[in-house]
Amino acid sequence: MNFTRIHAIAARKFASLRRDHRTFGFIVVMPAIQIVLMGIAIGQTPTGLDFALVDEGPSGMGASIMGHLAGSESLVLHVDYDSIEAARDAIEAGELWGALHVTPNGALELHLDNSNQQVTNTILIEVRNAMTATLEEQGDALPLAVAQPVYGERDPAFIDFLAPGIMTLVCFMFSLILTTMAFVGERYDGTLDRVFAAGTTPAEVLLGHLAAFSTILIGQVSVVILIATYGFDIPIHGSLLLLFLLALLLGWAAMCFGLFVSTKARSEFQAMQLNMPVMFPVMLLSGILWPVQALPGWIQPVSWALPSTWTAEAFRSIMIRGWGLEHPEVATAFVFDLLFALLALGIASRTLKVRD
Amino acid sequence: MTTAVECRALDRGYGSLEVLRGLNMEVATGSIYGLLGPSGCGKTTLLKVLLGRLVPWGGSALALGSAPGEPGAPVPGPAVGYAPQELALYEDLSIGETLRFHGQLQLMDRAQVAQRQAWLLEFLDLPSTERVVGKLSGGQKRRVSLAVALLHEPQLLLLDEPTVGVDPELRARIWDHLRTIADSGTAVILTTHYIDEAAQADSVGLMRNGRLLAEGPPAALMEPHGHVSLEQTFLLLCRREGGESGLAATPDAEAGDVL
Repeated sequence: MNFTRIHAIAARKFASLRRDHRTFGFIVVMPAIQIVLMGIAIGQTPTGLDFALVDEGPSGMGASIMGHLAGSESLVLHVDYDSIEAARDAIEAGELWGALHVTPNGALELHLDNSNQQVTNTILIEVRNAMTATLEEQGDALPLAVAQPVYGERDPAFIDFLAPGIMTLVCFMFSLILTTMAFVGERYDGTLDRVFAAGTTPAEVLLGHLAAFSTILIGQVSVVILIATYGFDIPIHGSLLLLFLLALLLGWAAMCFGLFVSTKARSEFQAMQLNMPVMFPVMLLSGILWPVQALPGWIQPVSWALPSTWTAEAFRSIMIRGWGLEHPEVATAFVFDLLFALLALGIASRTLKVRD
Repeated sequence: MTTAVECRALDRGYGSLEVLRGLNMEVATGSIYGLLGPSGCGKTTLLKVLLGRLVPWGGSALALGSAPGEPGAPVPGPAVGYAPQELALYEDLSIGETLRFHGQLQLMDRAQVAQRQAWLLEFLDLPSTERVVGKLSGGQKRRVSLAVALLHEPQLLLLDEPTVGVDPELRARIWDHLRTIADSGTAVILTTHYIDEAAQADSVGLMRNGRLLAEGPPAALMEPHGHVSLEQTFLLLCRREGGESGLAATPDAEAGDVL
């Protein structure tokens, strides 16, 4: 292992990347755009939902609920329906998402367009809050009270669950894309033959590339973490440094895997295709969009073979629970990502053969 | 006379395709060896075996006394200089960056690289070091490729088609230089399509279908056949071999196409 050669390869690769303005722009701007779009598009609470209150009940109760519902940011409250039949017709016509019926005997009945689960959940939360507030005014309470949670907020937003997952996904995807093409071209245009003729080893070639890409990785990871946490006002109860280091390790794991793909692919097109069998499991099985615990048992081992699963879990623990390295869940992610990176790099240095 | 490169009954191919079939070859230290033959006859494969990139299937290959790529062998390493046929340059680097990059890979220090660079630029008539390789002409790129191979003054020089697209005056100058470094002990192996060029070599190997039909100093090769040119000699040898192995198997290897 010769440091001069590793440095030469890293400097050469970095010069190439910097000179290709279009690619460099893509590398810098895309993760930022992606995390902003995901933050805006997924996990925020719906607003502007048309909702009716049909009050036929004893005086007082309906008015109190109405007052609280009217204050909701998610709902646009309509009180001009004379009967629950009229409100149901409006739901059927697509004018309303739902209606709350206060019956003459004081019971509450919810009528819904239940075609969109997230909308229904929002309405249920709003109605529950309005009821709780109304009962409190009457000096009463729901039979079930939620105490201050040990971890997390009293009203957790989906984005709090999602943000650590999105950070995982963006760090993994861009690191992978960055490296899969690394030397597909070089293996066939003779430049790598020349590098090997000088006595360079595959490990030196791989580490040189990894060093060049790492400078970009540090920038990407910083942008992703800063936007996710400050741009979307997601509380971080743990260490920001720990978050940064773990994101870096995940990026390295993805890059080493990408370098391995790069030693295998015969063309850049093939490299892109080879990425797909990794990208989709990472997106769907890592607990990024939906909890791993909800997956069928037979596929869960696949989840736990992916560094993204461990990382997303650890990100959540650091951000929401405020945990540090003393917790095995967090420490395991660091160890797993590191081992994954080393294993992928080791395999890549065997597939990138000097001698054939 | 010591031997720089020696191949005995060398076999090598790709998958089920056999490219080198029982090739024998000998290159003396301090000589220029011209490898003549049609496309697809195995010249590049042979160079890659000598570089240690391809492992022989059978037979043996020795470069500078060791099997290339074996632990402790001088090849691959700074002892060898290689200019591939496909140029193999990073198009986005400048000429100066290209030479610095390869200088570092050859473990040269900055001062050495700077000194060699100044000389090579002048000798190969190259433009400013600031010029980006991708924007050079084909001939200029080939000269940069040659500069990279010559940069670290290797003991063994493998040049795949080094003079394609280079003007006659510069080609003559390159040959003068190859002669100079050969006289100082470097072994030069080059492949070429130019038969006149091969005739200037100390030794010529006439290659066809993965083996050498004949090998020796140009004059010695021509003499027994009573022909005045290397081209006639090659044609005659091809016809004789064609009678044995059947030309139909290698229709692209007609001597007339080659030379």
